[in-house]
Amino acid sequence: MTTAVFAGAATVALVSALLMVTRRNPIYSAVWLLVSFICVAVVFLVLQAPFLAAIHVLVYTGAILVLFLFVIMLLNLRDDELGEEYPLAVRILVAGLCAVLFLVLAVPISRDPSLREPLSALTPGDGSVEAVGRVLFNTYGLQFELVSVLIIVAMLGSMILAKKTLKV
Amino acid sequence: MPFQVSTLHFLLFASALFAVGAYGVLARRNLLIVLMSLELMLNGVNVALVAFGLRLSANASGQVFVLMVMAVAAAEVAVGLAIVISVFRTRHTVDTHDLRSLSG
Repeated sequence: MTTAVFAGAATVALVSALLMVTRRNPIYSAVWLLVSFICVAVVFLVLQAPFLAAIHVLVYTGAILVLFLFVIMLLNLRDDELGEEYPLAVRILVAGLCAVLFLVLAVPISRDPSLREPLSALTPGDGSVEAVGRVLFNTYGLQFELVSVLIIVAMLGSMILAKKTLKV
Repeated sequence: MPFQVSTLHFLLFASALFAVGAYGVLARRNLLIVLMSLELMLNGVNVALVAFGLRLSANASGQVFVLMVMAVAAAEVAVGLAIVISVFRTRHTVDTHDLRSLSG
């Protein structure tokens, strides 16, 4: 059951990711990115992390993707404003480079037999709000506070950057 | 024994997601799509963190790391999109090749 769910979600996520990077118009890219994000949330569910799956949907599709869509609609790009893309030869070359990158990541982990244990043989993980919250506030309290500072700074920075009166 | 999903499959999926995102960052010239591809790469890293967390540790440390990555991703995308808006306002372009005033 988990195998089938993972296979389905991973396939849809990868196909929609590929569609997302190859669309010319950013609005289609954003919609394929939405599909990809939801499938990644399903993968989190398979990995026994239900809280993370919920937060992933909230943050990525609820905040980040909506922000992308707002900006796409705000810019309202015409076809000639989308800019040019690299010629096909360059894109094929870069695709080859990225395939090499995938192999560099994938070959060493495929050789490790300890990673081949089936998921059902591992100790069941605890991805509940309680388990994550305990680790977050007991062990990583300082980092949590630093992240809140980072978010405040990013919020102020983006408001200043997006102001109309900014002179460059 | 029927085929069963293991940590390896999650890591392969994460690597593939990362590589697709890297292609988007390197091969596209539209700033908005470059930013979206960056999000895709961060997603790949998140999947790998959760998979390793389940494999290696009894507590939820891996998931806490993913929460931090999500916060950084949200901050990055807010600032990045503000820069895109600002660039479009001053130069009327979202093509990365038109932004070369620093290259001399």
